[in-house]
Amino acid sequence: MSLVNDINTLVICQVLSALCLLHLIIFTITAPSFGSPHSHLSLSLAQLQDQGRPFSNPRFSSPTLSLETLPSTDMPFEIWHGLEDGVRLSLTQEAFWSFSQHFRIAMVDQHILHHGDSIVEDQLWEARLKAKGLAGNLAAIMTSLGLPSPAANTPLGPVPLGDSAYRKKCRGYVIIRDYSFWTDRAVTFLGELKAKYSQ
Amino acid sequence: MRSSTKKRRDPMALFAVLQTTFLLALLPLRTYQSEVLSEPLPLTPESLNVSINSTKQCLHLQWTVHNPDYHQEFKMVFQIQISRFKASNVIWLENYSTTVKRNQVLHWSWESELPLECAIHFVRMRTMVDDARIPAPRLWSNWSSWEKADAQNSLGDHPLYVFPKDKLVEEGSNVTVCYISMNHQDNISCYLEDVLIYGRQLDQNVWAFEFKNVSFIRKTGTNFYCKGQGDPEGVVLLVSKVLEEPKNFSCETQDLKTLTCTWDPGNDTGLIQLPSYTLFESFSGKKTLCKHRNRCDWQVTQDSQEMYNFTLVAENYFRKRSVSILFNLIHGVHPMAPYSLFPKSVSATNATVTWKVYSIGSSSALLCQLQLLGEGKVIQQHNISVRVNGEYLLSELKPDTEYMARVRCAYADHFWKWSELISQNFTTAEAAPSEAPDVWRDVTFVSGHPTVTLFWKPLSKVHANGKILFYNVVVENLDEPSSLKVLSVPAPANSTKVTLNQSSYQICVTAHNSVGPSPASTVAISGHPGNENVEEGRMNGTEDGFPMSWKPQSRNATGYVVEWCDSPQHLPCVLRWKNLGPTNTDTVISSGAFRPGVRYNFRIYEISTKRMAHLLEKKAGYLKELAPSYNPKVNMSNLTSHSFTLSWKDYPTESQTGFIQGYYVYLKSKTGEKCHRGFEKTFLTDNSVCCKYTIDNPDQKTFVVKDLQPESAYEFLVTPYTSAGEGPLDDFRKVTTPDEYSHILIHIILPMVFFVFVIMIICYLKSQWLKDKCYPDIPDPYKSSVLSLIKFKENPHITIMNVNDCVPDAIEVVNKPEGSKMQFVGTRKSPTETKGTKPAYLDLLPTEKNYSGPGPCICFENFTYNQAASDLGYCGHFPVTPQAPHCQLGPLTSPEHLLKTLEQSYMNSLGEIPAGEANLNYVSQLASPMSGDRESPPTNPPEPALCSEYKMQMAIPLGLASPARSENSSLSSTALLDPREHCH
Repeated sequence: MSLVNDINTLVICQVLSALCLLHLIIFTITAPSFGSPHSHLSLSLAQLQDQGRPFSNPRFSSPTLSLETLPSTDMPFEIWHGLEDGVRLSLTQEAFWSFSQHFRIAMVDQHILHHGDSIVEDQLWEARLKAKGLAGNLAAIMTSLGLPSPAANTPLGPVPLGDSAYRKKCRGYVIIRDYSFWTDRAVTFLGELKAKYSQ
Repeated sequence: MRSSTKKRRDPMALFAVLQTTFLLALLPLRTYQSEVLSEPLPLTPESLNVSINSTKQCLHLQWTVHNPDYHQEFKMVFQIQISRFKASNVIWLENYSTTVKRNQVLHWSWESELPLECAIHFVRMRTMVDDARIPAPRLWSNWSSWEKADAQNSLGDHPLYVFPKDKLVEEGSNVTVCYISMNHQDNISCYLEDVLIYGRQLDQNVWAFEFKNVSFIRKTGTNFYCKGQGDPEGVVLLVSKVLEEPKNFSCETQDLKTLTCTWDPGNDTGLIQLPSYTLFESFSGKKTLCKHRNRCDWQVTQDSQEMYNFTLVAENYFRKRSVSILFNLIHGVHPMAPYSLFPKSVSATNATVTWKVYSIGSSSALLCQLQLLGEGKVIQQHNISVRVNGEYLLSELKPDTEYMARVRCAYADHFWKWSELISQNFTTAEAAPSEAPDVWRDVTFVSGHPTVTLFWKPLSKVHANGKILFYNVVVENLDEPSSLKVLSVPAPANSTKVTLNQSSYQICVTAHNSVGPSPASTVAISGHPGNENVEEGRMNGTEDGFPMSWKPQSRNATGYVVEWCDSPQHLPCVLRWKNLGPTNTDTVISSGAFRPGVRYNFRIYEISTKRMAHLLEKKAGYLKELAPSYNPKVNMSNLTSHSFTLSWKDYPTESQTGFIQGYYVYLKSKTGEKCHRGFEKTFLTDNSVCCKYTIDNPDQKTFVVKDLQPESAYEFLVTPYTSAGEGPLDDFRKVTTPDEYSHILIHIILPMVFFVFVIMIICYLKSQWLKDKCYPDIPDPYKSSVLSLIKFKENPHITIMNVNDCVPDAIEVVNKPEGSKMQFVGTRKSPTETKGTKPAYLDLLPTEKNYSGPGPCICFENFTYNQAASDLGYCGHFPVTPQAPHCQLGPLTSPEHLLKTLEQSYMNSLGEIPAGEANLNYVSQLASPMSGDRESPPTNPPEPALCSEYKMQMAIPLGLASPARSENSSLSSTALLDPREHCH
């Protein structure tokens, strides 16, 4: 009984840590700062503002644009919700590791597109670190729960949509868009975990 | 015939020989010609190959000219045709001239304005020799076959393609964008930065969009995209700003070893491909690629090259810019800033500063400029030649003063530019104060003893030569030389107080700093008050201050002092003074504290040889006079129907904002009548008309306003005026003159009121006496005035009924139960309470018709007094039944008509009074219920009922009434009132 409690406490701590990191990510991704588009609080806004229209248009949406190397966002919520915790943890951990890799590509793209302005690159670097940190947190949760450790993360292979400046911009847009999706999903999921192991 | 034939043959033979000779002469040339042109030239280009460079949107042509017979170079012209979409659609024709070697591979490029991916291009060419060595005619060769350039082969399976990708465009140029719809969609919309763009259709599935004079928007490029059924597809036009020519290109050296060239690159082109900057030196033929976009270093070689011809080339994708300078190494030496600048051996007036420089070469010297700054200004400047160490002695410095020394250096052999400055602050040492403090005194006499307050001004920094620590005050009694008093006043105090006796004193004041004392300042004090009775003069201030002059009293004056208070309106007085030399008899006193509208008082003293001060003159003045700020408080008195007096005796003129020159008396009347004599009509700021009287004498503080109309309303105002104007006109007071008789009335009414008041007091004090005299409780008929009246008018024999005769007063017959008391004894019952008693009543007199009481009443009226019950509103109320037996009424009054009237009234009354309501009220002449002895126990007093009224009792002579029963009987009320009683 005591061991179970210890495990629960550990998981709770790790979940809380992951949640804190997630909140930081959400704050970094979604909080716009209209007065200062280069604020570190507004990664997506700054990144997209610098790309010009249509990417900087708030109403711009291109759901058909996708990157096959990114974690899938096609799974309906009902199915996702029905998955076991271990599966969801594993998927989430893989997703954020993948995003950390994609952010590196986005950094390179921005360096090519936006020479001399390192602010967006710095924001992407920060986002990459956070995604990587969250992936580590999730792996720790999986270990604490006795789930199989996530597979060794492999380097990312060629990522499509990089053969022109326009497609690089599209790639950055898709990475930010899908990252936001997975962040929301992870917040909900970790909230459930927190509630579950707090009992 | 033969001879002629022979002759004919000779010329022929000559001609043939000449011809042969000519031909022989031409043979070598011909041989040569046959070497060059003997064979037909192979003009058709071979191996034509067309390739596509998508990045640059260029078609590259490559071909060879096969000429196996000739080894020389030929100039040739290649005519190139380019068609688009189909061979017949020629869009470009160009002649390309070049020198062709044997078996040379030739290249030619053509940049397409339309992205090559959007259209199939066809290329062919033909050649022509264009060499002067080849005689005309020059003929074109045959066209080569069409070569096809098709970039669409490399496209994938996307439904939509947009070209050109990542096109570099210079700002201001034109660019064409196209898209290819692979599945022939026709609902494709294209946008430039979210703006819908319409293009032109080039082919069945190709549309082109031409943008002219494109502008720079952002570093990440301008987005163009098209949307069909699938994902949007687009391109980014990477627009570059035009590369600017470098500005302010110059070179210099700090050490003759390294040259540094700098320039202003201008605006950033905005592209990731930064322009490159290359520095080329033509004399040496060397060049270097600059690592920075605005600076480049060039190593000076050891070959003693002195002149350099630099060319800076800026180059980017689109263009090159270059700028050149001719540079002499010696003329461009900009030394490094010196270092280690230190002051040493700093005294009160001297300081030595040292510094070091970076050497330039082994034999070169630097020219260093040493500047000394005091209070931010350069006060000394020295040029010193320095090789390694510099040193200079700065003199003529001021004690206890902060200075800044700064140094910069230039190349001594050829001055071009100063180095950067280095600076160092230092402060000179202190010295003893160089000047005596400026001392003045204020002497007040308390109980005959002088109390001296000494004031001194702090020494200026120039004269203090350091921080003043304290002031020494030495008081010497001149009458007792052995008496010496020394005071030490710590700085920064600037005054001290000394109490002296009635001797003469000499006071010396010195200021001390850490080095020593200043010269002494001396003042002498007399033990007795001087002459203060000096008339005060007036003066006017100017913008510069108060100019004043005075007349010297003695020829031996050693100087003059003018003293004043800076803020006289605020106490205590901040004493100021100004010392003047003996030759000065005028000065201008100025102070930043002087304010307009403030009266300043100046006192001018003459200083004797013994340093004694004598009051010379007093002066008062205003820097600038202002209009009075307030008006005097005016008292109005002596108001009559035609005049009143105004006075403002205690008005303080000294606190006014200017010299009061007089007063204006304003008078406004409601009726708007004409102004009185002495007044003048004037208009106020509110356009109301007013009369104004001017009082020229500022000492006049009363004024009588005359010639007023009685019972009229006036408003008046008294305001002072100065040279700057008059006081505020906003405090008019109102006054209304009384009528002409009011004063008479006052003279009459007031005494009368007073008299009545006295009478009332007397009456109050003598009320008992008065009551006894005038309206006693039991009136004495003998004392009634009526009596005298009756006596006088009617009958001298009339007598007064005696109270003692009123024994038969109980005139009513009451059928009361046994034991019942007299109805009137001690009780005050209402008629209803006595209802059941059913007494037998006596008819006396009828009530008055006009009686308005609660019921019919009959009242006797006693003309001798009518106070008591009547005043209280009730009388003795006695019910009287009409059925009671009537008694004959006797005469009630002496006048017969009175009795008749009474009888008649009674009868009438009976007739009018309803049965059961008629009452007969009778009020006894005995003690009234309201008599003054209420406290005494009632002795059967008849208590009057409400509404009864005892009007009058009158004695009637027996002769007039009824015969008397006895001789002694006097006229009694009973007898008088009811003779019927005797009928019972």
